[in-house]
Amino acid sequence: MNILVCISSVPDTTAKITFKDDNTTFNKDGVTHIIGPYDDYALARAIELKEELGGTVTVLNVGTAETEPQIRKALAIGADEAIRVDAEPTDSFFVAEQIAAVAKENSYDLIMMGRETTDYNSGVVHGIVGQLLGMPSLSPVMELNIDGNTAKISREIEGGKEKLEATLPLILGCQEPIAEWKIASMRGIMTARKKPLNVRPAVGEGLTSVSSYSLPPEKGDCKMIPAEEAEKLIDLLQNEAKVL
Amino acid sequence: MTLFSRKHIDFLLHEVSDLPELLKEEYFSGHDRETADMVLDTAFEIAQKEIEPHFVDSDQKEANYENGEVKVHPGVHGFVKSQAESGLLSATFPEEVGGSQLPESVAGAAAFIELCHSNSFPMYTDLLSGCVKLINSFGTTEQKETYISKMLTANWMGTMCLTEPQAGSSLAEINTKATPQNDGTYKIDGQKIFISAGDHDITENIIHLVLARIDGAPAGAKGISLFIVPKNNPKNCSESNDVKTIGLFHKMGQKATPAVHLAFGAEGKCTGYLLGKPNQGLPQMFKMMNSSRLGVGLTGLALSSAAYYTSNQYAHERKQGRIPGGNENVLIAEHPDVKRMLLKQKAIHEGGLALFIQVYSYLDWQKAGKEIEKYAALTELLTPVCKFYGSDQGYHSVNEGLQVLGGYGYTSDFPLEQMARDVRILSIYEGTNGIQAQAVLGRQVQVNGGAPFQLLRAEIEKTLSHLNDSCLFKRDFETSFKKLQQVTSTLLSKQNPTELLADATLYTEFLSLICVGWQWLKMSLATEQMDTEFNESFKQTIGYFFRYEFTKCLYLSEILLKENKITV
Ligand SMILES: Cc1cc2nc3c(=O)[nH]c(=O)nc-3n(C[C@H](O)[C@H](O)[C@H](O)COP(=O)(O)OP(=O)(O)OC[C@H]3O[C@@H](n4cnc5c(N)ncnc54)[C@H](O)[C@@H]3O)c2cc1C
Repeated sequence: MNILVCISSVPDTTAKITFKDDNTTFNKDGVTHIIGPYDDYALARAIELKEELGGTVTVLNVGTAETEPQIRKALAIGADEAIRVDAEPTDSFFVAEQIAAVAKENSYDLIMMGRETTDYNSGVVHGIVGQLLGMPSLSPVMELNIDGNTAKISREIEGGKEKLEATLPLILGCQEPIAEWKIASMRGIMTARKKPLNVRPAVGEGLTSVSSYSLPPEKGDCKMIPAEEAEKLIDLLQNEAKVL
Repeated sequence: MTLFSRKHIDFLLHEVSDLPELLKEEYFSGHDRETADMVLDTAFEIAQKEIEPHFVDSDQKEANYENGEVKVHPGVHGFVKSQAESGLLSATFPEEVGGSQLPESVAGAAAFIELCHSNSFPMYTDLLSGCVKLINSFGTTEQKETYISKMLTANWMGTMCLTEPQAGSSLAEINTKATPQNDGTYKIDGQKIFISAGDHDITENIIHLVLARIDGAPAGAKGISLFIVPKNNPKNCSESNDVKTIGLFHKMGQKATPAVHLAFGAEGKCTGYLLGKPNQGLPQMFKMMNSSRLGVGLTGLALSSAAYYTSNQYAHERKQGRIPGGNENVLIAEHPDVKRMLLKQKAIHEGGLALFIQVYSYLDWQKAGKEIEKYAALTELLTPVCKFYGSDQGYHSVNEGLQVLGGYGYTSDFPLEQMARDVRILSIYEGTNGIQAQAVLGRQVQVNGGAPFQLLRAEIEKTLSHLNDSCLFKRDFETSFKKLQQVTSTLLSKQNPTELLADATLYTEFLSLICVGWQWLKMSLATEQMDTEFNESFKQTIGYFFRYEFTKCLYLSEILLKENKITV
């Protein structure tokens, strides 16, 4: 079982988000980056499958050298080797193109990633990769078991859950509870330094550029109105918030 | 909520401490900055997954003693397993016994992160690794083979058994007996009290390291030996070794770690194995106690950090009272008195942690084989100072944190109430702070004609020589540092030892302020790499430390120089 796990490097969920260069660039100063939380689930399940069925887990990241700590972390958690496509991940199509290019050169049984990143949350990369490779792409996958050449999957759908089977190779966008996040052990951390991390150039060019970013307006103050004073609430909604 | 500042820890490790130089040493060649960073991530992940969710529950459901058996909170089982499986438990041990030769400075920072989330859980594994250190240092090959791999994988746990009902601070009074047997083993007979993690249902065996007196040994401290006394037969864990729990103490805090009353050999069937040399028990045990003492001090600082981040958040949510002249209630964080309380907490753990990482790096230099005697002497001098400062100031910090929350702080709706109970033990066990102070003034500053103190002075002067005279706090520091030297020589000239030691606690407080002040100055030399937000906060905290805390040096020196001691 050869698995490619695509990981993104995203700001820690508690990071303070600011912009620079006239609001055209995200300001990375002082911001801690982590492996995308959904990607982390995909990675954890991929490592479990490797332990169960043998094979290798390769991690792929599209990013500049700044993302190497997150790649090393994935190696410390248990991936065998890593590829970094040396480019800013400017948009979903560009990232998907890089993944497809790497996948075409190798034969992976599974290409796994998070259902979406937690920075831009587009949630479309797995779909585009499927299109580019002509393979089925399923998301959000909450359970995954492999039986021979068949993947048994449970997926969240509107209002419920769907169980399905599909033949490998496949592309999967994953989410909890597919596996529990893995914690890097001392042994993993130390061997990660010796595992191969290959850097390659990007193919194609990004199709989009950002004109500006803005933050959502700050949350207003919260006013507590006692239940027995409903008229006061209506008054405030009409005259202060002006929403009625 | 985050209970510690990763940025401050990274700053200390990578900008202030000797870690970058240490990582160039052969002994630490398996590590680099990236591995150090990942170890801290692992510690945080374990803390979030295995400690934090049980913080309140394990306080409410304290260990249970029924039918002679002790059951501890299930969360402890998961934590111990994670700590072993992740390799953090064995991280600082040499590779030949299954460790990773991780620098103590990094391991100390990792421990700090875990301790911010509860001090009860890591206590089990701290005791365990302390026991392994002792067996690895003094054990025979057979003892090492029997115990070390089982213990470093947490298949067996460990404890330290010193205290007896009549022998607390004064270990010379110990009277647990060890009677030699023909096969080279000993029959152990006696009782130990307050034994932390002394019994539980986590592992199939618990390895007690017990201080006892071999029949006919000299009286007092010179006749105490150290024994390995397993709860169950190490060759067959289903066979009891006659170590019985006869009760649990009900404590005010740290409820997830039981303090147990143990009876060894009530049925005359308890076998002990001498560890190291006969009658060398106390100096050997001190080897374990030194790392445990650092651990206890560090716990105080970790609780300070947890209390600070909790109270800081509260202060930024709670509106109450007006600024004079204002007409609206403001966040309490805007009141100068609340700001002062918050700054006090921050100054305590940020400055204190710098001192701890300094001492951990002294341990690392010894492991790297560099100037071993010098670094050992500095470690010996500063260990009781660290234990004293961390536990004492940690208590004050948590107390301020609780105060910030006002009435809510006193209720169990907020974690400060539990923290205030948990922190209180730290100045009592591992040698009370009074006893630490006696070790500092009665021994450490006097040994080898005061050589360790001179080494410390040289270290401090090295930092001062890098500071330019415009440094705001350099002059204040130099004045108090001179005073400390004057106080030290005045005290050491006293003929009457009772008079010398009467105010050892105040002396140690003075010395600890000097040491932490030194660290603030050292940190101030390294802030250039840091961002504006960090620097602004740093400026405020160092300012607070020197204006509000460090100035206590003057009042302490005045008391210490007074001729007539009313307590003598
Ligand atoms: C929760 C908990 C866990 C513990 N865990 C362990 C453990 O795992 N293993 C273990 O062996 N022990 C353990 N202890 C015991 C602990 O180390 C002792 O309580 C401590 O050493 C103090 O001894 P004592 O209680 O007998 O107090 P005492 O020795 O009676 O001291 C009482 C007071 O007198 C002061 N005093 C005593 N002698 C002097 C002196 N010569 N000069 C100046 N002042 C002095 C002390 O500083 C203290 O303020 C634990 C205790 C507790 C409460």
